[in-house]
Amino acid sequence: MNHHDGNALIYREVSFRYPDAPRSALHKVDLHVEAGEILLVTGGSGSGKSTLLRAANGIVPHSSGGRFGGDVVAFGRSTRANKPRDLADVVGFVHQDPEAQFVVDHVERDLAFVLENLGHTPQAMRRRVEEVLDALGIAHLRERAPSSLSGGERQRCAIAGALAAAPAALVLDEPTSQLDPQGADDVLAAIGRLNADLGTTVLLAEHRLERAAPLADRAVIFEVGSIVDGPGSPSAVLAGYAGAPPVTHLARLLGWEPLPLTVREARRLASAAGPLSVPSAPNSFDVTVGTAADTPGELLLDARGVRVDLGGRSVLAGVSMSARRGEVIALLGRNGAGKTTLLRVLGRLLSARSGTVGGSGSVAYVPQDPNALLFSPSVRAELNQTLHLLGRSDQGEVDHWLDALDLSDLADRHPRSLAGGERQRVAVAAVAVGGADVLLLDEPTRGMDAPSRAGLERALHAHAAAGGAAVLATHDVELAARSASRAIVLGDGDVVASGPARDVLAGSLFAPQVLRVLPPFLTVAEVAASRTARITP
Amino acid sequence: MTSRFHAIAWLIWALAAAITLQLAPSPLYVAVVIGIAALIVQLHGSGGPFARAFPVLLTLGVIFMGIRVALTAATTHTGIGTVLFTTPSITLPQLLGGFTVGGPVEAEVLFLAAAEGFVVVGVMAVFGAFNAVVSHYELVQSTPRAFYELGLVVTVALAFVPSTIHAIAAVREADRSRTGGRVVRRGRLVRQAIPVLESGMERAVSLAESMDARGFAYGGASPLDRVAGWAGFAALLALGGSFVALVGQRSLLALVLAAVGTGMLLVAVWAASAARHRSRYRPRHFTAPDAAMAGLSLLAPLGMAALSGWGDPTLIWAASPLHWPGFTVLPVVCLAALLAPLVRVPLPAPRVQSADERVET
Repeated sequence: MNHHDGNALIYREVSFRYPDAPRSALHKVDLHVEAGEILLVTGGSGSGKSTLLRAANGIVPHSSGGRFGGDVVAFGRSTRANKPRDLADVVGFVHQDPEAQFVVDHVERDLAFVLENLGHTPQAMRRRVEEVLDALGIAHLRERAPSSLSGGERQRCAIAGALAAAPAALVLDEPTSQLDPQGADDVLAAIGRLNADLGTTVLLAEHRLERAAPLADRAVIFEVGSIVDGPGSPSAVLAGYAGAPPVTHLARLLGWEPLPLTVREARRLASAAGPLSVPSAPNSFDVTVGTAADTPGELLLDARGVRVDLGGRSVLAGVSMSARRGEVIALLGRNGAGKTTLLRVLGRLLSARSGTVGGSGSVAYVPQDPNALLFSPSVRAELNQTLHLLGRSDQGEVDHWLDALDLSDLADRHPRSLAGGERQRVAVAAVAVGGADVLLLDEPTRGMDAPSRAGLERALHAHAAAGGAAVLATHDVELAARSASRAIVLGDGDVVASGPARDVLAGSLFAPQVLRVLPPFLTVAEVAASRTARITP
Repeated sequence: MTSRFHAIAWLIWALAAAITLQLAPSPLYVAVVIGIAALIVQLHGSGGPFARAFPVLLTLGVIFMGIRVALTAATTHTGIGTVLFTTPSITLPQLLGGFTVGGPVEAEVLFLAAAEGFVVVGVMAVFGAFNAVVSHYELVQSTPRAFYELGLVVTVALAFVPSTIHAIAAVREADRSRTGGRVVRRGRLVRQAIPVLESGMERAVSLAESMDARGFAYGGASPLDRVAGWAGFAALLALGGSFVALVGQRSLLALVLAAVGTGMLLVAVWAASAARHRSRYRPRHFTAPDAAMAGLSLLAPLGMAALSGWGDPTLIWAASPLHWPGFTVLPVVCLAALLAPLVRVPLPAPRVQSADERVET
């Protein structure tokens, strides 16, 4: 308990229910965010993280409506008496979508927006804007339009916009969920620097913890509107959490103490533990994933020498790839490498300038943005709609995919009322239910929590095992390591590496965490499997 | 993006170009103005969401011109022109106007309609160029503070147009992707309209939240806001009364009421402006180059007006009898004044491309 209440962000018995919602989004939450700390909030999709954050400056309940109980006091000012605009100088708020927060199409002037609203003097504004430009390292972007920036740059500009009024606390709602790894690194590094240099209090919600967890001073886990674990040190709180970084799971499996959050800590523990407790490398992996590539099935999709130009620029320069029955293929590469374009060509949505796309299988593409797809009044209706468009109706198939992606409980909800990761799964189900042999998924795990990711991986494995195939374009090497049998790396429109996932990922600078700690193992599941094999020979 | 010139200077340039078009609607001169507009966009275009305003509005103008030509050709028959070809015709019943649609298509009618439509294309080009080069936020900043909120809301709403066009393309593709690339036409409008509208709504809501969190409309209403309200109401009454008096042919009373109304309106604007305690970050001043550009641009309509008074026969082109539009040196010299924004051509700075710049692929 902080004895000095004017110097912290305090939630007292906060309960909240959105208008027309069946259950409370927050239930009697007590939380003290101490001045100068980074508090990490994690938990599943729809667990109440966003609502908690939006209550920090009174967006909940002032903008959202609904029933609000308890009290939030931000550095001595209650949100009951103050609207978000009145707290603009106390709490800076950053949204997960970097596109939806710019008011002026000019970075520098957008930063000054909050200062103008608060009526600062011209001299104070000039100085503050220059300082914030430097604090976030975006001085070179000052004359640019936000729409012309990359996701990571845009999100840093948005943080600068929230920081301009020198708020005591910065509240960030999944600021990296829409970004590629490089952009996410830049944003989190900037947040860490702000906290260290300026002492800004940070309340941060995140799903992907590999990078965020080491940054935090304390963490809490949310479930169905309540804190189920924490607040406490991140390694203690995340120890039993499904969404913890892979090295944490590895350490728990092997009994290493204290639980590490980074590859660096895990390596130190691995060498300290000595070779005895480290399982020996198996000669062959009998994990289902590993075997698929060895027994190639029928050729479902075969692209040869695909060339695509978009806007006068060569995006794909002669890419060849194929997908066989039983394969899950990960398509890796930085933003702009041509992953999405290749999927669109494979999905018959874009025609190539030259080259052929053949194969005996039917294909279906799941777009990156689930919002482009969803329009039905319920999740079940959304799946039925696809079958309707294809001139079929098969409730068995609908139930199968609802079940496979853990959507059965949400079947009657409106897709737009769901959290980001849940929507993403609905989009996958709505496309997959059409019965295509080859599923093409574009960044399917963006904004997904750990159980959703695991559910998606299971569903894809089942689909491949049943004679289908899947191609995933992803930035997530952990996902690729866990679920792909083959990996293809694109760079500037060319295939730069292709082969079994193990070989491709092992030779990469961006290898999955477990591989970096205990090569040649790719995943925690493989380590576990080899241990059971060793114990019961 | 920062524009090379003050928003007001650009406004004056656009008005000068539009007036010039009205004074010299001959297709050759219109073509010159469109060319100048394209050049200005090329050199001064910003990278913001309005960068594509020029081609979009130009296309809109051309479509309008096409419709106009088609309608005029189908409905106007002078009987004395050169008949190009004859289409089947029907005469509408008396109830619908009783005119004939179709029949002989005359070259003169066609060309005249095209020339008139071309002026519209020219105006659209000028308007498009203005939108592509001006900083809309600066334009809002240049208005009296009373209009700031309204202007900002309009600007933000306009910025939704390009993102909505983008969303429509994404939704169309998502719709096809469901069926493995096959197009199902039945019910397509609903399937595609709902995601576009809902995504737009969600974006609007999060933008509103973001603006609120950043102190937009901070401070709430003040006594001066009430003064502004009452003054505005009084102005409305006085101006309405003035109009009634004018209808009743009481000119003096109308004049007095109009004066009172205008005065109250000024009071309302002043009070509302003074009530805003927001400040302005690096306000842009109307500098000598801005004044030079605006002044130089104004020479075009002034020169055209003089030539028109002089009686230059080439300014206005009549299609009948058929002949090529005339062309003399003096009007072109006047039009050259519209090149005024070139007095300050941007440095050929290479556009900085960051390594991780997002490329839509």
